[in-house]
Amino acid sequence: MRYWLQRLGVAVALLLAVSALTFGAMNLLGDPLFNILGPTSASTLPEDLEIIEAAKAEYNLDDPLPVRYVKWGSAFVTGDFGVQFSVDGQPPVSDLIKERLPRTVMLLIIAQTMAVLIAIPWALFAASRADKAVDKVSTVTSFLFIAIPNFGLAVILKYLFSLKWSIFPLIFNAADPFWTRVWQLVLPAMALALPVASVYQRLLRTDLITTLQEDYILTARSKGVSKRNVLFKHALRPSLFSFITIFGINTGALLGGSLIVEQIFIVPGLGTAIVEAILREDFPVVLAIVMIVTTAFVVINVLVDLLYSLIDPRVRAS
Amino acid sequence: MSDATAQANADGAASKRRLGVGFWIAVFWLFIVFFAATFAPWLPFKDPDNNYIVSGERPPYAPSGTHPFGTDQDARDLLARTVFGARVSLTVGLVAIGMGMLFGGFMGIMAGYFRGWWDRVISFVFIIFLSFPALVLAILITALLERSLRTISITLGILSIAPVGRIARATTISFADREFVLAARTLGAKNGRIIIRELLPNVLIPMSALALLGMAVAVVAEGGLAFLGLSVEKGPTWGKVILTGAGSRDLQKAPWIAIIPIIVLFLTVLALNFAGDRIRAYFDVRETAL
Repeated sequence: MRYWLQRLGVAVALLLAVSALTFGAMNLLGDPLFNILGPTSASTLPEDLEIIEAAKAEYNLDDPLPVRYVKWGSAFVTGDFGVQFSVDGQPPVSDLIKERLPRTVMLLIIAQTMAVLIAIPWALFAASRADKAVDKVSTVTSFLFIAIPNFGLAVILKYLFSLKWSIFPLIFNAADPFWTRVWQLVLPAMALALPVASVYQRLLRTDLITTLQEDYILTARSKGVSKRNVLFKHALRPSLFSFITIFGINTGALLGGSLIVEQIFIVPGLGTAIVEAILREDFPVVLAIVMIVTTAFVVINVLVDLLYSLIDPRVRAS
Repeated sequence: MSDATAQANADGAASKRRLGVGFWIAVFWLFIVFFAATFAPWLPFKDPDNNYIVSGERPPYAPSGTHPFGTDQDARDLLARTVFGARVSLTVGLVAIGMGMLFGGFMGIMAGYFRGWWDRVISFVFIIFLSFPALVLAILITALLERSLRTISITLGILSIAPVGRIARATTISFADREFVLAARTLGAKNGRIIIRELLPNVLIPMSALALLGMAVAVVAEGGLAFLGLSVEKGPTWGKVILTGAGSRDLQKAPWIAIIPIIVLFLTVLALNFAGDRIRAYFDVRETAL
């Protein structure tokens, strides 16, 4: 219990630090008034001064920075992410996020599912034939996939599967029915999943080989359990421990990767939103996305820890 | 450990004494890339920013004798752009991992050698950095500051401090209680001397393998930033060159613009990973972080 409280404390401290840093940097290094009004912000004409005063009042720009941070923070926690830095401030940032976030989440879910579905059979196959020719080919293959940067793989997949062979659709259309949209996300997800699957396979294969040398595997085999059953029922589960850790770590990495892959496949998710926002210097949007990604990252890491202690009682004891 | 694993390890010990042909191929490729990048202005490459328009034909031009990698939509020579892009990408990689080794290595050795209070503070800093999605920090810094080569390199450098530092700490801890350190101390060596003469050489070897892997990560990170519109603003970089050809229309009509630089980038990352992996196996570095 004490451990979890500590863990929670660190997570909250981290989020506070990140948000304060981001908020402070954006307001000190950028010029919020200029970002909202453009050139008008430096004008000294009386009618412009009124606009400036109105904007300052609307965005609380006259308050000292810590006060603005607290105001922004308390609103953020309740799900109100503020207004965009544009003349009319529409739509509110939270609406934009509500529209974009589900697509990124769906992309991540498809990618992780694919990675696991590829990695587990691949690892079982390779581990049961350890150090034979097939296994060596598979090791080289995984090494190659790990070295391909996700944007490079995305471009190549798009070229081969959508442009050349027209197997997968090129365009993500937000108006299409659910399963069509899932189908449209398969190729972007594959660009994310293949390198990650290779990482999973490498780790799982090593763990499986170690497990397969345990005495109880030999016992099971000599009792006449088939090779396939030994692999699936006896060897797989105990080999999954370190897999879970790396699953959590990679979810974080995938989050970053999805921002980039969305750009290439023009999926209007968080990635495209943050790029647009950076170009327009629309800092409330950048801030909101940074906070969402960081929060997700922290929460996933805590969840992995929790899952770990559920599966392996030894972790709970220590 | 069962007998079979022991046997496997013994086999590994026999083969690890050699770096293998693959290692030298990787080194050879890296040598070519680094040589071309370093001496690019003095080698007979075309001007990366010049438009080599042939009258009567619309660019992009496919690979040919005059343009071995072809040209982009503005008829700029892609071989030259790839080589000059390597200057930026490799500089980013070198500076990033250099900073990681210098600061991360220093902090890690201090934490691992002195332990106690030092260790707790430094480890906490490392944990904070590691539990933060790296790309987000990179986005933040590059979005707020001017996107110069210096900003990008330093940003990626800051991000490599924690991963390098953690391994430096773990390696230091595993050496700090060994007999040769005790012997040096009994002979009256001061802390500074022990760290520099006894620990540093031992920590540096695993770190050099890590440096190659880290460089690959930084080079890829630059590419990722380019796709978010956040890479170095002036001149070509690998990421930016790939980005020029990554749009659907360009990819359909002129696939070479994106795909040839992707292959160059891929081979470089592969060579860095492979060389790093071999060095690690050669010196039998354990990945386990304490």
